[in-house]
Amino acid sequence: MNPGKIFKDGLLTNNPVLVQLLGMCSTMAITTSLFNGLGMGLSVTVILCCCNVCISLLRKLIPSTVRIAVYVVIIAGFVTIVDLLLQAFLPALSESLGVFIPLIVVNCIIIGRAEAFASRHSVGEALLDGLAQGLGYTAVLVIMSVVRELLGSGSFGAGVFNGGKGWQLFPAGYACSYLTLPFGGFMTLGCLIALVQFLRSKKGEAEK
Amino acid sequence: MEDRLLVSAPPHVRGGDDTQSIMLRVIIALTPALLVGFWRFGLPTLMITAVSVGSCVFFEWGYRRLARKSCTLGDYSAVVTGLLLSMTLSPAVPLWLPLIGGFFAIVVVKQLYGGLGKNFMNPALAARCFLFSWAALMNSWVSPRGVDAVSSATPLSVMKGMALPAESPMDCFLGLRAGCIGEISAAALLLGGAYLLLTKVIRPHIPLSYLLTVAVLTFLFPRGNERLTWMLYQLLSGGLLLGAVFMATDYVTSPGTDRGRVLYGIGCGVITVVIRYFGSYPEGVSFSILIMNLLVWLLDKWTTPRAFGYKKEANT
Amino acid sequence: MLTKLISISLSAILVENFIFSKFLGICPFLGVSKKMDTALCMGLAVTFVMTLASAVCWGVNLLLVRLELAYMQTLAFILVIASLVQFVELFLRKKSPALYRSLGIYLPLITTNCAVLGVVLLNVQESYGFLESVVYGITGGLGFLLAITLFSGVRERLDYSAEVPECFEGFPIALITAGLIALAFMGFSGLKMV
Repeated sequence: MNPGKIFKDGLLTNNPVLVQLLGMCSTMAITTSLFNGLGMGLSVTVILCCCNVCISLLRKLIPSTVRIAVYVVIIAGFVTIVDLLLQAFLPALSESLGVFIPLIVVNCIIIGRAEAFASRHSVGEALLDGLAQGLGYTAVLVIMSVVRELLGSGSFGAGVFNGGKGWQLFPAGYACSYLTLPFGGFMTLGCLIALVQFLRSKKGEAEK
Repeated sequence: MEDRLLVSAPPHVRGGDDTQSIMLRVIIALTPALLVGFWRFGLPTLMITAVSVGSCVFFEWGYRRLARKSCTLGDYSAVVTGLLLSMTLSPAVPLWLPLIGGFFAIVVVKQLYGGLGKNFMNPALAARCFLFSWAALMNSWVSPRGVDAVSSATPLSVMKGMALPAESPMDCFLGLRAGCIGEISAAALLLGGAYLLLTKVIRPHIPLSYLLTVAVLTFLFPRGNERLTWMLYQLLSGGLLLGAVFMATDYVTSPGTDRGRVLYGIGCGVITVVIRYFGSYPEGVSFSILIMNLLVWLLDKWTTPRAFGYKKEANT
Repeated sequence: MLTKLISISLSAILVENFIFSKFLGICPFLGVSKKMDTALCMGLAVTFVMTLASAVCWGVNLLLVRLELAYMQTLAFILVIASLVQFVELFLRKKSPALYRSLGIYLPLITTNCAVLGVVLLNVQESYGFLESVVYGITGGLGFLLAITLFSGVRERLDYSAEVPECFEGFPIALITAGLIALAFMGFSGLKMV
C-alpha cells in the first residue's frame, strides 16, 4: 500500500470521525478549546502509532480467539504510559482532559484500526496508518475546537498561542456560551458531518 | 395542508379548519398581551417583535427556497413563531438576539426536520432556551412604565429567594411588573386564551391541568409564606400563563389524545415547580415544556385507544 | 449519608446525565437507538453492567492501592469490565436464554462503552465509598437508560414524519436531535434538592 493513499484515507476519504464515525465521545466532550483539542488529538495519535506498531509486530503470534483481549491490554498499557507522562510533564492538559485520557482505552478508533489494519499489514504500513488516522482525528478535533472556542468564548488559542493567553477576538459576553457546553458539541459535530456528507454527494454528482 | 399537522397516532379529533385560519386566530389571541407589552415597555419592544417576526419569516422563506421546497409563508406559522419568540424575551435585549433566535427556531428546530408538523420541539421555546447562551443579556430587566420600583427585578427572581415580591397580585394581573415582553399581563393572556378556547383552536386540557398542577404544588409547599398568596404569585408571575396557554398547546409538539394532554400538562407543571424551586434558572416554564415535548411520543403511545392487534399491524 | 446518596442520584440521572452532560457512552447511544425495544434492552444491560462494575472495581481499586499499584488502574479496570461482561454473557446464556437472545449482540459492545469505564474512573476520582460507588453506578446507568429511551422514542417518531435534507440524513440529524435534547436537559442544571 502506498503512503500517499494511507494518508489520504486517514485525513479525508476514510477519516475516523467524519466518515467512520468512531470516537464520538471524546470528539464532542473535549473540544471546548484548541488547547484541549490539540492535546487530545496528539495523545491519541501517539497511542495509535504505538499500538499499531506493537500489534503489527505481534500479529503472527496473537491467537485469533483472544485477539481482542490482547489488543485491549496493549492499548491500556500505552494509555497508562501516556497518562502518566502527561501528569508529569503537562499537568495543565492532564487536569483539563481529566477522565478522557484513561478513556482513550475504549476509544473505538484505536481498537478499530488494530482489528481492521494493523493485524493485517506490515509494521511500516501500520505505523503510517496510525499516524494518518491519528492526524485525521486531530484535524477534526482542531476544527471543532477552533469553531467552539471562537464562537463559544470569543477567543482563539487560549493556552497555546501568545504566551498561553491566546487572543480574545471579541468580548466573551457576546459569545454563544452554550457552544462550549454539551449542546454545542452535538450541534457542531452534527453540522460538520453534514457538511462532509454534502461535499461527498456533490463530488459523487460531479463524477457521474 | 391539513395533513401536515397530523403527526400523532390516531384518533385525530380536530376541526376542519386549515392551518392558515388557526394561525390567524392565534395571532389575534396574542395581540392583547403584545399590546400591553408595547404600552408598558415602549418602542424598543415593537422593534424586537418586528425583528423577531421578520427574522422568522425571512429564514422560512430563505430556507425553503434554498432547499427547493414549496413556499410555506402562507400558513403564517413563521409569523406566530416570531411573535411567540419575541414575547418570551426581555424588553432590554439587543436587536441581534431575536435575529439569531429566529434562525435557530426556524432553520434548526423546524425546517431541518421538514417544516411545520415534522418538528418534535416547540421552535419558539427552543430558540428562547438557546438564547440563554447570552445569559447576561437575557436576564437584564427594565421596569415597565407606570411603576416606580426601586429595582427592576422580576417577581419570580424575588420569589427565588423564598420571599414575596413587592408588587401586588393585582399589579401582576394587569401587567404592572418587570418581565418578558409578552408575559407581564395575566389579564391579557387570559383574554387571548379565552378567545382560543371559544374558537376551539385549543382544548382546555393542557392549560388547565398545567395551571392546576402548579397551583396545587405551590399551595402545598409555600416555602414559609402564606399559602394562598404564594400560590397566587406563582401563578401570575413568570411565563406560566403564556406557556400554559400558547406554548404547551402547540399542536405539533403536544399529545393527540385528551388523556395524554392532561398527563402532559401535569408533567409540565411538576417540572416547572421543580425548576423554580430547586434549579439554577429562575423560570422553569420553557424548559419544562421542552422536556415534556420529548415525552409526547410516549404519552401518545400510552393513551391512544388501540384495537387489539393494532400494533402488530403497524409494525409489519 | 442519605442526602449525599440522593444528591449523587439526582446529579447522575438529571443534572449531569452521562449522555447529555458528560458525553460518556455516545457510541451505543447513537448506534443502538433506532428502535425503541433494542434501545431499552441496551439501556438495561448497560445499567446492570455499570452497577456490577462499580461494585467490583471498588474492591479492585482498594486492592491496587494496598499493593501500591494505583497506576495500573486503567488496565485493571478494563480487564475487570471485559471479564464481567463475559461472565454476564455466560450466565445469561445458561440461565435465561430468552433474555440472552434479545441482548446477545449488544453485550460484547458494552465492554467498549465508555460509560462503564467512565463511571468506574469517576468513582475513584471522587473517592466514593462502596455504597456511593454502587449508587452512582445504578443511577448513572438509569441516566443512560433515560437518555437512550427518550432519544429512541423521538427518533422513531422522526422516522415516521421527518423530511430531513439529504446531507443531514443519518448521523447529523441524530446529533442535532441529541443536541436539542441536551438543550432541554439544561433546565435541570444546578438542580439541588437538599
